[in-house]
This record gives sequence, C-alpha cells and structure tokens, in this order.
Amino acid sequence: MDPIEQFEEWKEQASHLWRVAMDHLRHVPPTQLYAAAAIVVFTTVLLLSRLLKRAKANTIVLTGLSGSGKSVLFYQLRDGSTHQGTVTSMEPNEGTFVLHGETTKKGKIKAVHIVDVPGHSRLRPKLDEYLPQAAGVVFVVDALDFLPNCRAASEYLYDLLTKGSVVKKKVPLLILCNKTDKVTAHTKEFIRRQMEKEIDKLRTSRSAISEADITNEFTLGVPGEPFTFTQCSNKVTTAEASGLTGEISQLEEFIREHVKP
Amino acid sequence: MLEQLLIFTRGGLILWTCNELGNALKGSPIDTLIRSCLLEERSGAASYNYDVPGASYTLKWTFHNELGLVFVAVYQRILHLLYVEDLLAMVKREFSQVYDPKRTVYNDFDETFRQLKVEALARAEDLKKSNPVVRPVGGNNGKKQGQGNNKSGLEGGNKTKSEGGLKDDGSADGNNNKGDDNKGRKLENGYSNGNFVVTKDSNVDSNVNGRVNASSGNGAFDVNKLQKLRSKGSKKTDIVPKASKADPNKKATKKNRVWDDTPVEKKLDFTDNAGEDGDRKIDFVAPVQGESMMDKEEIISSESEDEEEEDDVGKKNKPSAKNKGWFSSMFQSIAGKANLEKSDLEPALKALKDRLMTKNVAEEIAEKLCESVAASLEGKKLASFTRISSTAHAAMEEALVRILTPKRSIDILRDVHASKEQRKPYVVVFVGVNGVGKSTNLAKVAYWLLQHNVSVMMAACDTFRSGAVEQLRTHARRLQIPIFEKGYEKDPAVVAKEAIQEATRNGSDVVLVDTAGRMQDNEPLMRALSKLIYLNNPDLVLFVGEALVGNDAVDQLSKFNQKLGDLSPSSNPRLIDGILLTKFDTIDDKVGAALSMVYISGSPVMFVGCGQSYTDLKKLNVKSIVKTLLK
Repeated sequence: MDPIEQFEEWKEQASHLWRVAMDHLRHVPPTQLYAAAAIVVFTTVLLLSRLLKRAKANTIVLTGLSGSGKSVLFYQLRDGSTHQGTVTSMEPNEGTFVLHGETTKKGKIKAVHIVDVPGHSRLRPKLDEYLPQAAGVVFVVDALDFLPNCRAASEYLYDLLTKGSVVKKKVPLLILCNKTDKVTAHTKEFIRRQMEKEIDKLRTSRSAISEADITNEFTLGVPGEPFTFTQCSNKVTTAEASGLTGEISQLEEFIREHVKP
Repeated sequence: MLEQLLIFTRGGLILWTCNELGNALKGSPIDTLIRSCLLEERSGAASYNYDVPGASYTLKWTFHNELGLVFVAVYQRILHLLYVEDLLAMVKREFSQVYDPKRTVYNDFDETFRQLKVEALARAEDLKKSNPVVRPVGGNNGKKQGQGNNKSGLEGGNKTKSEGGLKDDGSADGNNNKGDDNKGRKLENGYSNGNFVVTKDSNVDSNVNGRVNASSGNGAFDVNKLQKLRSKGSKKTDIVPKASKADPNKKATKKNRVWDDTPVEKKLDFTDNAGEDGDRKIDFVAPVQGESMMDKEEIISSESEDEEEEDDVGKKNKPSAKNKGWFSSMFQSIAGKANLEKSDLEPALKALKDRLMTKNVAEEIAEKLCESVAASLEGKKLASFTRISSTAHAAMEEALVRILTPKRSIDILRDVHASKEQRKPYVVVFVGVNGVGKSTNLAKVAYWLLQHNVSVMMAACDTFRSGAVEQLRTHARRLQIPIFEKGYEKDPAVVAKEAIQEATRNGSDVVLVDTAGRMQDNEPLMRALSKLIYLNNPDLVLFVGEALVGNDAVDQLSKFNQKLGDLSPSSNPRLIDGILLTKFDTIDDKVGAALSMVYISGSPVMFVGCGQSYTDLKKLNVKSIVKTLLK
C-alpha cells in the first residue's frame, strides 16, 4: 500500500472519530462542558505560571570553600545577626527575603532569593541546581586563611567560571574576601592576583584533561596571555566583607546591582 | 561529663547550645563530625570519635528529618556516658515541640534541658540497677570517691518516680500544659537542686560505678559491654527480616556495558623482538600510538538506561502495593504520607540493598549505606505522588553520587606541574595485592603522562617476584622512557630512594614506583611497604585494586590502610590517597567494587583500567556508575 492511500485511510478514520466525539458531546449537558473547559484552562495557566517563575533569574548564589563563612553571610543578609554561630552546612540555606539592611528603607522593596550552597566538595553537585536561575554568583574566599586554601579555592573558582550555565548567560561573579575584620587578613588585590596566577596554571593542566571531562566545556581567557579576570566573558569583581562584624555593604551593593528593586 | 550539646539545622545554623555546660571544646569536633562522618554517609554509625592533642571526644547525634534538625552531644571519651542517647532522644522530642523555623533564639530551652538531663541521669541509674548482668572489671579507680559523694544524688534519682511537687519555672512556658504526659518530669524541688550539684561534679561515671558496686557487691559495671550487648540484640532483630528470600524481579534487566571500542592495536608479544640480541637491541619498531582513553569523551546512552530503570522500579513496587490494597496505597500516593517510619522504609531499603549486592557491592557496605539512607529519611514527609520506594531510590542515588564524587582534586597533571615548579619529581607509588595489574597499569599511566609532555621515569621496586623487573623494562622500552632498576634482592625502599635521587638529577617530572604485590595479611611485606612510603614520602599512594573483587575489597583496603598506619614509624602516617581500579572491562554491570573501595578508604577512584593496550585507561564516570548500581 503506498503512503498516500494510507494517509487517506487515516484521515477517514480521524474524521469518523471526530464525528462520533461531536455526537457524544452534544449529549453532554453544557454545564459539564464548561466545567471541563475551566479545569483545562486553569491547569494550563497554573503550569505556565510555574514555568515562567522558574525562568526568571533573581537568585543570588553564595558559594565558596567550606569554612569561608557563607552561612554567616547568609544570616547577616537575612537577619542582620549571626545568632549563635554556625557549623558546617549539610544542606543549602535558601530564602526569599528583603535584605536586612533595607528593611528600614521606605517604599516597596523587592525581595531577593538568596541561596547558600555548602562548600563541602561532596555537596558541590548541588550547585548545578541553582546556577541556571542565578542573577549573580558570590564566591566567598577566606581572606584570613587564604594561602593554604588558595589552590583548592582557585580550582573551585575555575570550575565555576567554566560552567556552561555561567558562561552562556554571562552571570556576574563577585569574589568576596571575607573575614577582613582580622588584622592579618589579606587584601582583595593580593587575593585577586594570587587566584589569577593559580588559574593560569590550572588552565594548562585542565585543558589537557578537559577533552575527557564533560563538565568543563569552556576554556578560560586568551591563550598565550597570562590570565586575568577581565578576560572572562562575564563580569568578575572583587570586594571585601566581614561576616562576623556585619560589614557587608559591598555585598549588598552587588546584590542590588543585579537584582533590581 | 557531658561537654557540650548542640542543636543546629542542616543548613548549619546553631539554634541552641547548652550555656551552662559551656566548656570550650578543643579543636572543632562538630565540623569534623559533619565533614568526615555525616556527609560521608556514615551517619548510620552509633558514635564518632574525635582526637586532638589534649582531648579526645566521643560524639553522638540524632536527626529530626522532618524539621531538618541535628542534635549532637559531645563528651570525653574516657567516660562512657550511658544516658547520652536517652538524653538526645528526649531533647529531640522536647525541642521539636518548641521549634519554629522562623525563630532563631531559644533561651528558654535551658530550663527544659536542665530537667531532661536530670531525668536522663536518673533513668540511666534505674536501668543499671534493674539489669542483672553485672560483670567484674579490674582497675575501677575512683570507686571510693563515687561511693562517698553520690548517695544523695542517687537517692534523688529514685525519687523521680515518686509523686512530688511539679517543679516548673515560668520560663519554660510551653511545658506547663504538657506536664501530664511527661510524668518523668515531675520532680521534687529539693531534689532537682540537689542532684544538680552532683551533675556538675566531673565524675558522673565513676559515681555510677561506685553505686552499683555497693549494691550488688559483685564488681563494677562495664557500661561499654552493656551497650555492645544491646546493640547486638537489636542488630539480630534487624537481620531476621532481611534474611527472607530475595526479590524475584531483580534480575529482570541486565545490559551489556558498552565501552568505547578502541582500535585493537599492536601486538603484545615482543619476545621475538628482544629475543636474540638480548636487552641491547632497542625496538623502536612500534612506537605506541593512539590517544589514551583518559582524554576521550565517554558517550553514555542515558535515555535507554533511564527507561529501564523506571521500568524496574515499577515492577518492584507492585508486590508491596498489592499487600496494602489498591485503594489505600493510591490514596496514600496522592495525599502523601504523614511521616515515614522505619517500618515503612524497610521493604524499599531491603530491595535496594539486594540490588546493590547483586552489583557486587560488599554486604557490609550495602548494609551501612541503607542504614544511613534510612536515618536520613526517617521522619520525613512523603511528598504527594511519590512512592516510598522511589523516595528511597532517590535518596540512595543522591548518597551514592555524594560518596563517589571525589573529595579532593584528582587533577594529577596540576599536581605534577606544581611539584615541577618546586624542582622535585612527583612520586607515585603503586601498591596492591598480587596479580591485580600494578605494572600494567603503571605503564598505562606512564603512557598517559607522556602524552601530556611530562617526562616520566619508572622505578622497579618489585625486587621480590622473578621477572618483575624484566616486565617493567619491556614496558619502558616500548614507551621509550628511562627505568631505574637495581636487580633483585635489594631493599625496595632504598631502590625507590635512589630512583628519586636519579630523577632529580636528570630532571624527570614524575617517578612511577612499582612495588611487589602483597597480601594484606602478610606483615613482613606490609612493613617493608610502610617503610618504603615513610622513607620516600611519595606525593601519591595509589592503591591498585581489581574490579572483580567482592566482599574482599573491604578487607584489602581497610587492612592496607590500617597496616600502613600501624606499621609506620612516623606518628602521622601516609595512607592511601587514591584508587586505580583495574580489569573494569571484565565485570559487565557488577561495578560494586568501585563503591566498596571508595566508601572504605574515603579516597577517590583516580583511574580505571579497562583493557589490555596502553590507551585503555579512563576516568571514573560517577553518573554512569551510579546508574549502573541502581539499575
């Protein structure tokens, strides 16, 4: 049987079915029909609204190595206090709220969705759940205990900067040097330079592996030149903060810059 | 004496600490507990020991999964506090009643805690008295002291049950109305004060011992043993249902693993080449070609596997659904079940455990994993339109991904470059039992490194088995890399040392040290290995294990680690840093050894050997392993 004949037959069947269905419909009282239509419309609206909500990026993701002070910053942003301190997180802290520093401001202020993703390396896959909705990423670095952790932090940052969801959407990134209230803390310029150097080295070793690694599909910087953060497709800035003393104005600025009130 | 009791959320915010205990802890036992125990799927264990110079603590914990709370108690290891578990359970019960996600300060819980502690102490005391099993224990110091100062406290403990005036301070407002169901909290005024002094005394445990001693006249009581007895008993009851027959549906789907097909290249037989002219004739005839599979992408047909998985789950679930009746299970799945209990989880977890075991995961590990998953699910609310089995399945999948995700960077090339800057060679020692393929995979690693422009040197430190040096020499000639050898009957530690010196001289970046295979129980050989590692302080100790191994994987790795630790002359011994899994092409879907090894050692799988040619070296694909394990 050639295809056109087959098609004709299908068409016949379809029109027959349609007629049967219409016949059936005529027997159904109109109130039931309206109710059914209302339900269909309602569910589609519900689904669509959910999808739209998902797509909108107003999330700020706090990330960084374990012990750099993400949870403290999260609670500083939310409540303006660290309460009785924190321990290593096992789950992300997540909340939609008006920043504590802005609660006294007049006028309507839009709430921000902030997620604090645990830094423990076993929990890093969680990050991928939040990155697609991120309007900005804050990479928290421990400025006090920086040098021993420099390599691990740089590796994590490298992974972050080469993530598809970050590169494609050009998500702005803030390198936040935490714990600067302590005297021995390193400056943000120093940390920036060290991390650039470290990432430069990583580039050579990672590009060798990246062919095998599916996660690192993008390379960083310009080949042949020493790496700087300005070469990234997304905007990378540095700032200082102190979670314990509540000195987080630069962080709040960053958040407000990227999540418009 | 209890050192500290904390209540915190899974997000890491401390909600309440016991101020009155308020002892400054040495080190950071809580963070260490979370990082190395709770996050490593070891939360099914009963307790965790933490050592720092100057203190050694034991930590016990319990979860409230519905509210996402964690309760941790810290106490000195030397004291075996019997009441801690009881106390934690009570604190959990009480705190969950006052907990409110929006509240972050719970100062009024202090008073409740004080009472709970008194109650727990008293109950532990009762338990001890009623228990007839009393074993003599030597060296019960502090006995006299205990008898001396504790009379009043213990008497108070007995009085708890007698009706007394309800002591309840105004601050614990929520408790007034609950007084009825907590008869244990009815305390005498004087008693609660009196006993308080006793608890502040640093010597609760010895007190307790002293008392029992006095009443039975039989010798002191070993709390440890009692606990062990009890846990044994409970374990037995656990095992009984599990021993029932296996699920018949399990073997429904099994699929051949498809590995990257590589060009079968080169003959492995070079005997005729080297044959007549002896070692002098170097065969440049077949310089090895082809890219190491470390650098190739792996394509997994994930969709088909996914489908199968779902199918499987569906099949599995049917019998359990039938038992409960179609309607009620349907209703449950729509409405969502209130709270998951252990008994609800048991069938699903048993199925999971069996499935893991058919994939060659060691039984002990499958058991522990299931316990840990149960601990993380118990008390949780089941979401609507989900089934228990799928919830358990998802939790297990998450746990498996977490375990197999490397904790530390496995970027060896980066490390090689780092040590290159310091102008010293990067030393890798291959260890393992006999015949797992140490030399073969050493050559594969060498080949992979060569491809990334790293100069490699081999060190033949297998001075034990005849032919080992020649085998390595053949590899070296094929790969055209230098080899350091000193023949047989030499101390391997010394050979390795000289090899490293030689590498420093001629500027090699990496030294790959081949060692003799040894059984984990062979103490002289293990001692030699420990010496080799101690003397040369390698950058990476790579355990080579074959993927064929089942229950023995646990034994091998734990004994290797333990022996390396025990037999090392240094106080801070080097343990195994990474795993090289060999013969991965022979095991079809029984990939359980990967999980067993990673779980036991806590170190990542760095390479996977999956064939006979030099290119057959890959990275572990965590996702595909997890998928295969749960298939």
